[in-house]
Amino acid sequence: MNQTQQTTPQQKQIPMIEAFNLTKTYEDGNLALDHVSFTINSGQIFAMLGGNGAGKTTTINLFLNFIEPTEGEARINGIVTHKEPLKAKELIAYVSENVMLYPNFTALQNLDFFARIGGKTQYSKNDYREVLLRVGLDEAAHNKRLKGFSKGMRQKCGIAIAILKDAPAILLDEPTSGLDPQAGYEFLKLLESLRSEGKAILMSTHDIFRAKEISDIIGIMNKGSLLMQKPAHELEEKNLVEMYMQYMAGHNGQVSQAA
Amino acid sequence: MIRLLVEKELREIIGSAKFAVSFAVCSLLIILSFYSGATNYKNTVTQYEAAKRANFRQMEGVTDWFSVRNHRIFLPPQPLATLVSGISNDIGRTIKVEGRGELDAVDSRYNDEPAFAVFRFLDLEFIFQIVLSLFAIVFAYDAINGEKEQGTLRLSFANAVPKEKYILGKLIGTFTSLAVPLLVPILIGCLLLPALGVALTGSEWTRLALIILAGLLYFGVFLSLSVCVSALTHRSSSSFLLLLVVWIFAVLIIPRASVLLAGRAVDVPSVDELASQKIRFSSQLWKEDRAQMAAFKGTSSDPMKQFEEFQQMMQKQNDERDKKMQEFSGALNEDRENKQRVQQRLALSIARISPSAVFSMAAASLASTSLDLKDQFRNEATAYQKSYAAFIKAKTGLVPGGRMVVMRQEIGGGKPKPIDPYELPAFKYNPQSTRDALNNSLFNLGLLFVFNIIFFAGAYIAFLRYDVR
Repeated sequence: MNQTQQTTPQQKQIPMIEAFNLTKTYEDGNLALDHVSFTINSGQIFAMLGGNGAGKTTTINLFLNFIEPTEGEARINGIVTHKEPLKAKELIAYVSENVMLYPNFTALQNLDFFARIGGKTQYSKNDYREVLLRVGLDEAAHNKRLKGFSKGMRQKCGIAIAILKDAPAILLDEPTSGLDPQAGYEFLKLLESLRSEGKAILMSTHDIFRAKEISDIIGIMNKGSLLMQKPAHELEEKNLVEMYMQYMAGHNGQVSQAA
Repeated sequence: MIRLLVEKELREIIGSAKFAVSFAVCSLLIILSFYSGATNYKNTVTQYEAAKRANFRQMEGVTDWFSVRNHRIFLPPQPLATLVSGISNDIGRTIKVEGRGELDAVDSRYNDEPAFAVFRFLDLEFIFQIVLSLFAIVFAYDAINGEKEQGTLRLSFANAVPKEKYILGKLIGTFTSLAVPLLVPILIGCLLLPALGVALTGSEWTRLALIILAGLLYFGVFLSLSVCVSALTHRSSSSFLLLLVVWIFAVLIIPRASVLLAGRAVDVPSVDELASQKIRFSSQLWKEDRAQMAAFKGTSSDPMKQFEEFQQMMQKQNDERDKKMQEFSGALNEDRENKQRVQQRLALSIARISPSAVFSMAAASLASTSLDLKDQFRNEATAYQKSYAAFIKAKTGLVPGGRMVVMRQEIGGGKPKPIDPYELPAFKYNPQSTRDALNNSLFNLGLLFVFNIIFFAGAYIAFLRYDVR
């Protein structure tokens, strides 16, 4: 596969995914996101931890311009997503919690469609096969229709689609959900390699241990607020669990900014 | 982008088992409709030729033209009526021509074969109107909300996809993947027609092509309507239910309700009412003439001359009675026709809310089986009656029809020669011209196009506001 590395790794530190006072209040008055700010540089992985309804998916929806912010801005490489959504989306690859593809298409056909809709028309079948093998999908499954795939296999296809897009910003909405331990491990290896290619990765997850293992920055969200964000190396695994439990229990601590 | 989306739709729809089954059923029905249409046509041609022969046969042995009393003319079978029957099976196909008086068409197809009146014929119009409209709904009811439920809409719009291009690709793709394959059985059906002995003229082929075009426009209406409803709802079960209700109203309720509403709004005297008024008036005239006949006194003592005078008097009475009757009937008929026209116009205008009724009207106009067929046959028969009366008058010196006394006198004892029925002027039915048929269908074709635009615009606007999450 022709992998064009668009950015150089960590050293350059280009702010790729940025949230500035990102706020979303729905029409019914529900405050889904409350002045959330963070920055993810290229070559960094930001893990957003939080329970259901914490605002993780809302944050991702704002970056994808599926909804517009009530206040603040979401930016991809400096492009404000709600002002220039198409331009911003050209720079985004996305993997949802539950990847759903066309059930009557084979894995290769799904990859072909989503790669082309993502603006990548140069790939051959061999490129698709290569990337499917890279995400751990056996060759025997490449020409099978998706309707027979398990959640984990679909998730791998979704990740393959994100890789094919070769975008500098990657949004992952609980991507390891449904993956078995082996696949979860392989996924982390994959994230590491994407980071080394200079991708900025925003990952929402419930999985504290994987977040600690892979991410550069960890944020904890609850009820629409980003309660804490710290460099992962500053946090002990035990501390992180305790901290997470405290925040989830309603601890109203100050937001601790990443260095 | 649009091309990619169209390709995706093609691949997704054509690759599904649902398509394979539905397409096979639709193809079978389409080919069957052409086949049964062609065989029906051949049967009706045989019946028509037999009826014509029987008409001449009943004149065999008749020795004077004045004794020809049961001459009938027949509506020839129209090849396109077998594909779009319209009212062709409901109206009378036979008219008894007497030389004067009103003409009544009797012996409709359904009168001869009542079983078909119960279940109707399987024609192309039925296939389009009922089957293909459902086919469109079945494939497009979840065009948008189905993708949302499936999760693919979210993934697609995580990319730089303009919504307007997506909906355009969706509509074009769905239409292409469903309508184009349907052309295959239609083309096979078209090839079947000449193979089964139905020879269409160039004009009839043109009309058939336009009927198919109208069918595709109608199909497009239900397709774009389905996509529109799918973009207005978030659950495919809701859109399916809603579309089913719309389909029931459009196909079954509105066309029938329009006739009922128009019937309520415009009162048209019934045929029976008119007939009884005509009978009363005719009896009255006849009573007056009978009194005159009873008082007849010839000027000559020669019985033959007296008879001639009597016959002349009767002819005069017939002419006058016919004239009065024509005036009376004409006024009644005109009044009824005017009211009926207003009622029909109102009914058709109301029915035009429904694309189904609009398609029916367009197809029937193009096949010349619309309401105009009845008038066309009657006008042709009226014109023929005049030439028939002129022919008989030339042969006998008298206009036939009405009441008269005929006395036959054999001079010299020779056997009179029978008449040659084939001398009668032939009835040649001139169907509506292609231009007239096209003019009559143009408004409805345009309306189908407008329906497409409206629902397309609806789908477009609804999707621009659609929450793709």
